[in-house]
Amino acid sequence: MRYRLLFVLLIASYVVCIVPFASYMKRRPVAVKLGYVPSAEVLRIVVGDQKLLVAHAAIVKVLVYFGTLLDKHPDSKLVLPAEYLNMYKTLQTSVKLDPYNNDAYYFAQAAFTWEVGRAQEVNLMLDYGMKYRTWDYMLPFYAGFNAAYFLKLYEPAASYMKKAAEISGNPLLTNLAARYFFESDKSELGIKFLEMMEKSTKDEQVRKLYHVRRTALVAISTIQGAVNRFKEQNGRLPERLDEIVEQNILKQLPVDPYGGRFYLDNSGSVKTTSKFAFGEHK
Amino acid sequence: MKNFRVILQATLKSFIRDRLLQLLLVCALCIFLIVPALSLFSMRQVQELSVTLSLSAISIILLTLTVILGSSSVWRDLDRRYLASILGLPVSRTSYILGKFTGIVIFILLGCLLLGLVATAVIALVSAQYPSDVPLSWPQIWIAILSDGLKYVLVAAVAMLFSSLSTSFYFPFIATLVIYFCGSASQEVYEYITSDYGKTLSAVTRSAINSIYYCIPNFAAFDFKVHAVYALTLQLPGLLFAGTYFILYTSIILMIAVWAFNRRELA
Repeated sequence: MRYRLLFVLLIASYVVCIVPFASYMKRRPVAVKLGYVPSAEVLRIVVGDQKLLVAHAAIVKVLVYFGTLLDKHPDSKLVLPAEYLNMYKTLQTSVKLDPYNNDAYYFAQAAFTWEVGRAQEVNLMLDYGMKYRTWDYMLPFYAGFNAAYFLKLYEPAASYMKKAAEISGNPLLTNLAARYFFESDKSELGIKFLEMMEKSTKDEQVRKLYHVRRTALVAISTIQGAVNRFKEQNGRLPERLDEIVEQNILKQLPVDPYGGRFYLDNSGSVKTTSKFAFGEHK
Repeated sequence: MKNFRVILQATLKSFIRDRLLQLLLVCALCIFLIVPALSLFSMRQVQELSVTLSLSAISIILLTLTVILGSSSVWRDLDRRYLASILGLPVSRTSYILGKFTGIVIFILLGCLLLGLVATAVIALVSAQYPSDVPLSWPQIWIAILSDGLKYVLVAAVAMLFSSLSTSFYFPFIATLVIYFCGSASQEVYEYITSDYGKTLSAVTRSAINSIYYCIPNFAAFDFKVHAVYALTLQLPGLLFAGTYFILYTSIILMIAVWAFNRRELA
């Protein structure tokens, strides 16, 4: 009898504890959730022949963590916390364990360029990957895009794109390489790039992220075209963007999916108050 | 030769009847069932992840199998007093140790073959659903699987050496695991100390680490997983060195095990 009573008491205590326990686990600080991954030098010694498995486990950890951030912000109001550095270091460790792992390079490109503006660091990682994935045109393609779009370094961008074009034989990349030398039509390049990225991913969360960015760039490009037409017709820039709607050049102004407001700067370029970023990274 | 065959047959029969090993093989097959689902955690290399997971599963299962078989086979005969009865017959200790070892080797290689076939089916299924830019290279995959099998034969030889020295189960079990982990890490440590970092270490420390590197088995020689996963070209010298190293090291360890067992006092 006493034994049964003790058992029931233990079960009751467990039921009482489990809900607050689960809630606490869910609310753990981000750094604890993401965990600490030891340096690659130490891991290489400890994990023996399981380097590839450990590398992928680290990448999945970062992906799952990133996914929970996106799930928390269903309206695309993504705010990347300061732990992005920990995420980046985890990816760096994983590529040192498995320098061929495409997921690491792809995710670094997806998450650390647009939101946190770390294109230079991402390009260093991509340079490292190019030494190993010599058959993969996507790595120089990403690096070329980053160099041109984020870093405004058109010469290295062209050489990355040239490399991507040589590996893939894709005429689009050859075209992009040429255009980086002679043009700086960033919105259009961005749209083409994002279209390719969106089509090539099967991860719904990342695809959603690309779709939002592409929608924003298409909106900018559409408004910029309308502003140019307004200038041709009226010989001046519109004072307000509403004027292009009033003159039926556009039926309505597109919406910035990042939650910002489009405006014209002094040079006649269309800008947005969101700066294509969510939350605190504007 | 006849005695050797009798010991070998008895060893194999005992392994086949062993419930623990049957359970281990069932668990192994269950692990392969979840590989396709786990492979979907990858964004861009589902096929590559399925190969990684399959090879890792084979490696971990074979390690468990090898350590259990290698550490327990002599100990069980001692514990159940079978060993005294067997050695009372006109059976040499050499035949006993070699018969036991050959039984373990056959079981490991059969396990490796079975797991390899299951892995092949799983990888083929995943790669058909999610084809990758990286071609699927079956020769590389099977070389990685078979070289893993050879690695665990070498681990079994180490376990037999410790078993021939000890009357307990725990010493060969723990010592084999320690040697396995040290042997898996030795190449990385060696490369680390021969780099610029090594210059900061004292000459005595460097010599000690070098000596350990040459003495303990180097399991990194049998690791062709990255070639299998990303279909990289295998270098013939690498394969030849691994094969030669396996034959020489296993033979030396077995000779020491036989020598030690022949000199052992068995009450």
